[in-house]
Amino acid sequence: MKKSARPLALVALLVSAGVLFAHHGNSAYDETVRVPIKGTVTEFIWTNPHSQIYLDVKDSSGKVVKWGIETNSPGILTRAGWTRRSLKAGDEVTITLCPAKNGQPVAYIGSGDPGTKVVFADGRQLDFVDKTVEKTVDKTVP
Amino acid sequence: MRIDLDKEHRSLWSRLGKGVRRWQGMGLAHLAPLVLILSISSGANAQGPAPKHDLSGVWALQPAHETSEDDKQSPGGAIPPMTAWAKARYDLEKPGYGKRAAPGGNDPILECDPMGFPRILYFPTPFEFAQISNRVLQMFERDHVVREIWTDGRALPSDPDPLWYGYSVGKWVDDTTFVIESTGYDDRTWLGAAGFPHSETMRLEERYQRVDRDTINFTLKIDDPQAYTQPWIALPRVLKLRPRAEIRQGYCVASEEQAFTKRIREPGALNTGTVPKN
Repeated sequence: MKKSARPLALVALLVSAGVLFAHHGNSAYDETVRVPIKGTVTEFIWTNPHSQIYLDVKDSSGKVVKWGIETNSPGILTRAGWTRRSLKAGDEVTITLCPAKNGQPVAYIGSGDPGTKVVFADGRQLDFVDKTVEKTVDKTVP
Repeated sequence: MRIDLDKEHRSLWSRLGKGVRRWQGMGLAHLAPLVLILSISSGANAQGPAPKHDLSGVWALQPAHETSEDDKQSPGGAIPPMTAWAKARYDLEKPGYGKRAAPGGNDPILECDPMGFPRILYFPTPFEFAQISNRVLQMFERDHVVREIWTDGRALPSDPDPLWYGYSVGKWVDDTTFVIESTGYDDRTWLGAAGFPHSETMRLEERYQRVDRDTINFTLKIDDPQAYTQPWIALPRVLKLRPRAEIRQGYCVASEEQAFTKRIREPGALNTGTVPKN
C-alpha cells in the first residue's frame, strides 16, 4: 500500500500542475520540450504584455549566439515573485526554455509552460508559480 | 464585510493537520499531499458562505474542466455553425491559438488593439469587481480596462454606438447571483484567441453566481444571429477569489509591442509560411 500510493500522489501533483498552467499556447514555440541554455544576460526588458530576456550564449565552437527570450507580463511575473530588477546585464544564468520550432535563437518561458525557469550561478531560481496563491497557504502553516 | 482570512486558513490547516496525524498513525502520511491537492482543487473546504449582493474583490479564472475546439483564452463550449457573413470573416483571420494557429498572423492584439469583451475575461490575468452606487465595475489588468455595468435599472439602448467593451446592465436575480446583459460590441474584436468573429448586434448574458466566499460559478451565453445560427453556450467556468493579488496597469503599448515583434516574434515566424504583421 505504502509503495503504490507514492506514485499516485506524484501523479496527482503533476496532473494538478498541468491543469493549472495549461492555458498558454504560442504556435511559434515547441512547448513539448524544455531545453536548458546557459549564457550571460545582456538585457532584461520589463514591458507589457511581454517581458524579454536577451542572452549571449556560446555555441560549441565558442561563437556567441544572441538569444531573445519571451516571457510573461510584469503583472504575471510580479505575482510570481519577480521584480524589474530580478535580472541584469552580466548575470550568468541557465534558462530552461521552449525553443522556436524554426530553429531561430528565440524562445519562450512563462506561466503557460511548467518547468521553464531561470537559475542563477548561485542556485537562486526564478519561476512562474503565482505566489499570491501560495502565500495564502504558506502564511498559515501551523 | 470583513473576513479573517488567517483565521479561516488556520482552521483549514488545523483540520488537515489532525487528518495527517491520524493517517500517520495508520502509516498513510505520504498521502497528505494528495489530500491537500484534492481538498483545494475540489473546493471541499470552502471558506465561508457567499456574502449577499457582493462580488467585490480580485478574481482569477480557473482552467476549464472540459476541453473544446476553442477553449484556450476563448469562451469554449460547442461552437454553433457560423453564418456566411461570419465564415467570410473567420477565413481572413490568422490566429496564434487554436487549430488554425500559426506564428505571426493578424490577431488585432498584436498591434495592441483592444481585446474587447468577452475575450479579455479569458486572458490569463485576474480581474477585480468593485461596486459603487449605480454601477458594478469590472477592472481588468490588460490595458487597465474598466467595464461599467449599470445597475440603476436602465434598459439596454436599442441602437448603441459600438464600443470596444460594449454597453452593459446588470441586476441581482437572487442574493448571490448577478446577471449582466450587454450589447453594442465593436465587431473588430475577436471572441477569443482562436479568432471567432462576432457582430455589433451580439448580445451577451453573463451569470456570476457566488456559491461561497471564495468561488463564483460563471456562465456565458452569446446570442449573435448575424454570426451564428444558434446561441453559443460557453464552457461553464469557475472564478476563485485572490485576496492577495492586485490588478496592475497592464497597458499594451504599440511602440513596445512593435519592438518585441521585430526582435522576437518575427524571427520566430521566419520560414514558417506565415508573415507576421508590422
